[in-house]
Amino acid sequence: MKIVVCVKQVAVLGDEVEFTGDEREVDPDYLDFALNEWDSYATEEALRIREEVGGEGDEVVVVSVGDAQVEDAMRRCLAMGADRAIRVDYSRSADPITVARLLAPVAQRESPDLVFCGVQSSDGVQAATGTALAELLGLPCVAVVTRIEWEPSASRATVRRELEGGLLDLTEVDTPALLTIQTGINQPRYATLRAIKQAEQKQIEVVSPAEQGEPAYRVRRMFAPPKGEGAQILAGGPADIAQRIREIVAERLK
Amino acid sequence: MARDPKYDILFEPIQLGPKTMKNRFYQIPHCNGFGSEKPLSQAYFRALKAEGGYGACCTEYCSISPESDDTHRVSARLWDDDDIKNLSVMCDMLHEHGALAAAELWYGGPHAPCMESRCVPRGPSQIPSDFEYLTYPKEMDKDDIRQVQQLYVDAAKRAREAGFDIVYVYGSHSYLPQQFLTPYYNKRTDEYGGSFENRARFWRETIEQVREAVGDDTAIAVRMSTDMFMGDSGTQLERDCLPFVELVDDIVDVWDINVSGISEWGEDATPSRFYPSGRMLPWQEAVKKVSKKPVLGVGRFTSPDLMIEAINGGKLDIIATCRPSISDPWLPRKIDEGRLDDIRECIGCNICISRWEIGGPPLICTQNATAGEEYRRGWHPEKFDPAENADNDVLVVGAGPAGMECAMILGKRGMRRVHLVDANDDMGGIMRWIPQLPGLGEWARLVNYRKIQIDKLRNVEFVPGTTLDADGVREYGAEIVVIATGAYWATDGLNGCTHDTIPGADAAQPWCLTPEQIMRDGKEVPGNSVVIVDNDGYFMGVSLAEKLASEGKKVTLMTPLGNIAPYMHFTLEAPNQHRKLHKLGVDIVTYHIPSRIEQGSVTATHVYDEEAHEQKWDADAVVLVTQRRSDEALYRELKDRIGFDALGEEGISGCYRIGDCEAPRLIADCVFSGHRLAREIDSENPEVPKPFIRERRVIERELAVV
Repeated sequence: MKIVVCVKQVAVLGDEVEFTGDEREVDPDYLDFALNEWDSYATEEALRIREEVGGEGDEVVVVSVGDAQVEDAMRRCLAMGADRAIRVDYSRSADPITVARLLAPVAQRESPDLVFCGVQSSDGVQAATGTALAELLGLPCVAVVTRIEWEPSASRATVRRELEGGLLDLTEVDTPALLTIQTGINQPRYATLRAIKQAEQKQIEVVSPAEQGEPAYRVRRMFAPPKGEGAQILAGGPADIAQRIREIVAERLK
Repeated sequence: MARDPKYDILFEPIQLGPKTMKNRFYQIPHCNGFGSEKPLSQAYFRALKAEGGYGACCTEYCSISPESDDTHRVSARLWDDDDIKNLSVMCDMLHEHGALAAAELWYGGPHAPCMESRCVPRGPSQIPSDFEYLTYPKEMDKDDIRQVQQLYVDAAKRAREAGFDIVYVYGSHSYLPQQFLTPYYNKRTDEYGGSFENRARFWRETIEQVREAVGDDTAIAVRMSTDMFMGDSGTQLERDCLPFVELVDDIVDVWDINVSGISEWGEDATPSRFYPSGRMLPWQEAVKKVSKKPVLGVGRFTSPDLMIEAINGGKLDIIATCRPSISDPWLPRKIDEGRLDDIRECIGCNICISRWEIGGPPLICTQNATAGEEYRRGWHPEKFDPAENADNDVLVVGAGPAGMECAMILGKRGMRRVHLVDANDDMGGIMRWIPQLPGLGEWARLVNYRKIQIDKLRNVEFVPGTTLDADGVREYGAEIVVIATGAYWATDGLNGCTHDTIPGADAAQPWCLTPEQIMRDGKEVPGNSVVIVDNDGYFMGVSLAEKLASEGKKVTLMTPLGNIAPYMHFTLEAPNQHRKLHKLGVDIVTYHIPSRIEQGSVTATHVYDEEAHEQKWDADAVVLVTQRRSDEALYRELKDRIGFDALGEEGISGCYRIGDCEAPRLIADCVFSGHRLAREIDSENPEVPKPFIRERRVIERELAVV
C-alpha cells in the first residue's frame, strides 16, 4: 500500500507587505514560510491509514515542487512520520496547472493506491492543483473530503465530503483515486524534537522538472486595494458608542 | 515599521518653563526600593526608560530632610551632599538619552514615621497619621513653617546641583503642602488655616520660595490630588484645587494631577480589578481648563489610542505613566516604531506597589521580570545575548506563566529549537482561568503578550494537547529539559496554620471543592450556603467569595488570619474589595480555623482560644483555599526513577524545574523564575541563580578596626 501526499510550502504574510520592483510578487523579506495547513491534515490522514490498516513495507510518500527551501516543509512531514520525500526541483513561481504538470510524472512513477492533496493552499487559495492532477493522472477525484473508509485490499473507498451550506455527501470512489483533504478531518500530530532531528538526516530525492507547457496564467500586477471611504470612527464610552450605532442603523433602515 | 502618523502628537516637544521635553511621555514619580542609597540600581532603572523613549523620568518621592524619613519604606533622599552625588548618576544617565530628570521633593509630615532618623515630623495640626500607626507630628508654629520652607529651598538647590531639570513641590497623597490645604489635616485658626487663602498659604509660599531659589533654569512642578473622596473634610476640586491652580498658575511650570489621599491611594494607583485606564481624566481635564500651563497625569495608559484621545480631547498635555513604564520601559519607542503588538501591557495587579507598601524590597513586576534587575543582574528587557549553548534543543513542559516566559526568553536567546508542550489546547496554565475571576480580565494580558511573542519566534514551537510522562520526556529528543508543571490547591485542607490537614476535608466529595475545580473543571458548587476556608491571604479566597456571592450564594469567608486577604492591602485592592464583599453580604470570619468539616457544616475554633470558641457554620459546600502544592510528579519521576545520570546518557545534559512546580509562589515570581533560568541557561549551574550585585558599602578592613 502506498499513499502519495502532495504538499506545499506556503508563504505567510506579516502585518506589513511590500511588493517587488516589478509589482509581480510580494517582496520575500516580508514573507515567512510554513507547511500548508491543509497539507498537514492530508499528511496526518495518510499516516493514520498506514498505521491503522497498513503493513510491512507500506509507505507514505510526500511530494513537493520547489527549490531547496521548500524542504523545510517536507521535513516537517518526514518528522510527522512520512517514509520518503521527493522534491521536483523548480525555482520559478508556478500556477496550479503547472504544479500539477510537475507533480504528475512523479505520482505516476510511484503508482500509489491513493493520492492526497490539501483542498487548497493558504497563500494561493485556488483549490485547483488537486483536481488538475487527478485529470492528468486519469484518476477519479473526490474534493473536500472529511472522512475516509478504505481497506488496502478493497478496490473502492467510502468517503464523506463537505458541500455548501453544511451538507455532507457520502460517496464511493474506485481506487486508485485522488482525494483533496479538508482541515478538521483529524488532529495533525506534532513531531518530537527527536523525530525532527531524524527527519533532518533523511535524504530527500530530487527529480528534474518535466515539460510544463504553457502557464495557465501570468501575474500582471500585485497591489494593495485602495482604501475605501465612508468609515466613521465613533468616540466616547461604550454607552455613547452603542447609542450612536443605534441611531446610524435606524437612519439607514429608513 | 514606522510610526502611525496619528500618534505624531505624542512625539511633539513641549515646553516646561525653562526646559524643553522632547515628547509627551513622562515617567511619573514612583518607588522602586532603591532610593538614594542604591544609586546605581536607581540610575539604571530610570535610564532604561529614557532609552525606551521617555522624555522625562522622575525619582520616587524624594525626602528633603531627616524629619521626613519614611523608613521602613524606601524613598529617595536629598539630605546632604552625598545624596547629591548619588542621585547625580541618575540625572547623567537620563541626560545621555536626551530625557529630563525630575525630583519629587517630599515632606511627609505625620505620615513619615522617622524610624531611621528618630526625628519628629512636623504637621499643620497635632493629629496622628491615618496611614501609619503611632506617628504624631509636632504642630507647626510660625518658626516651624519658615524652617520647613527653608528645607524645601535647600533641597531644591541640592536637586539642581545633582542635575535635576524639574523639581516638585509635592502635595498629592496627603503630604505636607496638601495637608495644609485640607481641613481633614489642617485645624489651624491662624493665617495658615480656615479660609481657602489661609489653607493655600503654606503651599503657595513654598512654591514661591523654591521658584525664587532655582526657578530660572529649573522647572517647577506641582503634584496635587484634586479629590480625596472624603466629602467636606478632604480636598475638593471646585472648592480647593481649581482656585489653587488659578492662584499659583503663574509660578508653576507643569501640573501633575491625580486624586486620592494616602490611606486609600488605590484610588490613584488603581488596580485593574476596579478601574480601567484613564479613570482620572475628568479631574485632569478640569485642571487643564483653568491652567495655562501643561498638565500631566497618570491613568495606567498602555494604549496609544487612549493617549492621543486624552491629548486631542484637551484633557492632558503629557501622558504620565507609572505602572505601564515598569511593565514596558520601551513603551514610547515601541509606539514610535509601530510595534504595538510588542508592548508588554501593564495588567494592573499592583504587585509592584505591594513591595513599597511592605516596606523595603525592590519592586517586582508580573509582566516584566527584568524590572529592578537592570543593574544588579544586568538584565535588559529587550536585549538578549545569544546563549553559549544555543546549539541545544530545549523541551519546556508546561505552558503556564513560568513555562511561557522561559520558552520565550530561550527563543530570544537563539536556542536552536524550543518546544513548549502543554496538556491543554492553549497556553496559559493557571492563567487560563485566573483572569476569569471577577475583575481580573486584564490579567490575561500576561498570556496574550507571550503568545504573540512566541508566535513570532521561529525557533519556538507550542505543542498543544500533549501530555508527556517521564519516558516521553526522555525520548523527546531535547538536550535540555525544563519542567514547569505548576501547582494545585490542596484537596485535604493541608494548611500553613495547623501544618496539618483538616479532618473531613476531601475535595473528592461533591460538596467539597478547590479553586481549580470550580474555575477550571466546572465542578458545581452545590446548595446555597458556602464556607470558603482561606489561609492563602491573597486574591483567590476573596475572588471566589465575590464570584459565589454574586451568583446568589450565602458566603462565609473564614480565615485564621486577622484580616481577609492581607496581601491585598499591599496591592491597594483591599478597601474596594472589602466594600464589594460587604455589599454582597459576605460574612467574614477572622481568626478562625476549621477543626472539622463534614457534609452540611464546618466547625471552627478561634486560633487563640481553641476550647471556648468552637462554633459551627452551616455549609452546603466548602471551598478549600488552604494552600497549594507543587505538581512535581513528572520532575520526581525524571530525577528519582530515571535519574539525571541516565538522562545524561540519552543526551539530556540538564533537567530543571521552574515556577510553582518547584514551590508555589506569586505569578510575578513564576515569570521571574522562568526568565531567570532562560537568562542563565548557559551558566555553570543553571539550577542555582548566579549572584547579583549587592549595592552596599564594603568597608576597608583596616578602617574597621577602631
